Amino acid sequence: MAYVRIDEAVKYFSREDGSPLLVLDSVSFDTKEYGITALLGPSGCGKSTLLNIITGLERLDHGTVEVVSGGEDGERAHPQLGYVFQDPRLLNWKRVEDNLKFALKGMEVPTDQWDERLDKYLALVGLEDFRKQYPLYLSGGMRQRVGLARGLVIEPQVLLMDEPYSKLDQLTARQLREDTLEICSRLKQTALLVTHDVEESAYMGDRIVIFSARPARIAAVYENPLRSSERDTDDMRFIEFKKQVLETILNLVKEET
Amino acid sequence: MVKQEDLALGPAAVAAPGAETSRGPRKSGSILTETGWDVSLRVGSIVALLFLWWVLSLFFPPTLVPKPWDTLAEVFLIIRTGEFFSDMGSTLWRVFVGFGFAMLVSTPLGIVMGSFRNLESFFEPPVILGLTMPGLIWALLMIMFFGLTEFSAYTAVAVTIFPMLTISIWQGTKSLDKDLIDMSTAFHASVMSKLVDVILPQLVSHLLAAIRYGLGLAWKVVVLVEMFGFSNGVGYRVMHGFDIFSMKAVLAWAITFLIVMIFLEFGVIGVAERSVTRWRPRVEAWRR
Repeated sequence: MAYVRIDEAVKYFSREDGSPLLVLDSVSFDTKEYGITALLGPSGCGKSTLLNIITGLERLDHGTVEVVSGGEDGERAHPQLGYVFQDPRLLNWKRVEDNLKFALKGMEVPTDQWDERLDKYLALVGLEDFRKQYPLYLSGGMRQRVGLARGLVIEPQVLLMDEPYSKLDQLTARQLREDTLEICSRLKQTALLVTHDVEESAYMGDRIVIFSARPARIAAVYENPLRSSERDTDDMRFIEFKKQVLETILNLVKEET
Repeated sequence: MVKQEDLALGPAAVAAPGAETSRGPRKSGSILTETGWDVSLRVGSIVALLFLWWVLSLFFPPTLVPKPWDTLAEVFLIIRTGEFFSDMGSTLWRVFVGFGFAMLVSTPLGIVMGSFRNLESFFEPPVILGLTMPGLIWALLMIMFFGLTEFSAYTAVAVTIFPMLTISIWQGTKSLDKDLIDMSTAFHASVMSKLVDVILPQLVSHLLAAIRYGLGLAWKVVVLVEMFGFSNGVGYRVMHGFDIFSMKAVLAWAITFLIVMIFLEFGVIGVAERSVTRWRPRVEAWRR
């Protein structure tokens, strides 16, 4: 497996008038191997930008982002990254299975593995009965599950998730968080989750990296004291940990103002 | 609750238009009976029109309002003598050739206008101006340019529908979902795959709408051109009926023409549309 190492990352955007706007101010951290790293920070702080940089949709102005892969995966041409978006960004004119095949085709997975992979990952997200369905006939939560399956089906070294629950209703989001956590720990999936929800970060993250408001700096890094199977939103230990994270964020906001 | 994230920072933050249209599975219950009721209403409307026609024919001489069945007999006559097929054939051919010309220019122009802002500004005025020009004037202009040739029929059709087609494709290109293109880049889709799997499917519904409106306009112009002195085609036949003051003939040609148009509209284009938009849930089977 693999992890992402971000070293002294600096990124500017240009404002309307052309002057530079600092978005990432020498950000450095490693993601956890075989687990979920949650990036927590206020809206607009540059978390999604960082994901876009890791995927290659945008470039850094300074510093490096690399996917460090250990062992037999080392020789891959480009790092295998799976992406789960905020809106699921499905191709609505393609059936569920064809949406997954689109990713398999793009990542050049040999076709003889396709069927086996489709079966495996659709079953993992609980959509094996819907593989021939068109996305618009599914509920929002199910569409997000298709998005998750598409991210996983290419068997990525790192799975990137950009606020995948923020547009779902409370109950659906809660269920999907639980399932994603279970799937990731079963697959020993290295994953990076961007979120601005404190409870979500404490629930999902094995490691939590807290960003300051723009320009983003690393404000704190926490290791989750609870194993994924022990996390229960009603458990005192969980509530304690969540409070700790929340206080860090609140102090950040106070410093800003 | 919708949280706006990273306002205008990265491509990932551009909100997807229409991405939130969530619908549950189709209601199954009483679709059949509803469709049945819908069909009978439509049939009833046509029967009522025929009835009205018959009532009118009681009060006017047959030179003004012929009996429905006399007109029907005339329809059968033009079909049996073969006039229908040859004249309708020439008219359809003129429409399709003119349409083809217009499509060949409009599709690339529309895509280019939707993609590059400078070219959009440059081509917008002529396209908008063209849209306001009446088909009758194009018909006259083309006949003055090219005389009574097939070519003037083709060009009259082409220039009349060209602005409308261009606008549809131009707007369609502008409304392409950039988030989906980013998604396909994130999964390393090839250029070919981006075009075939991501971009073209988004343009198809715009293209079909353009074809539908374009055909509607094309019929009107081609008939005008034919009226100005062609010796075949539906326009010529209608004009001929007018010259000999045969209301029966004018109506018979008008009705057959309508039937062919409806067949093309609902049969050919409708079927094409339904097969390429199967993925979109439809609220009701008959309503479009």
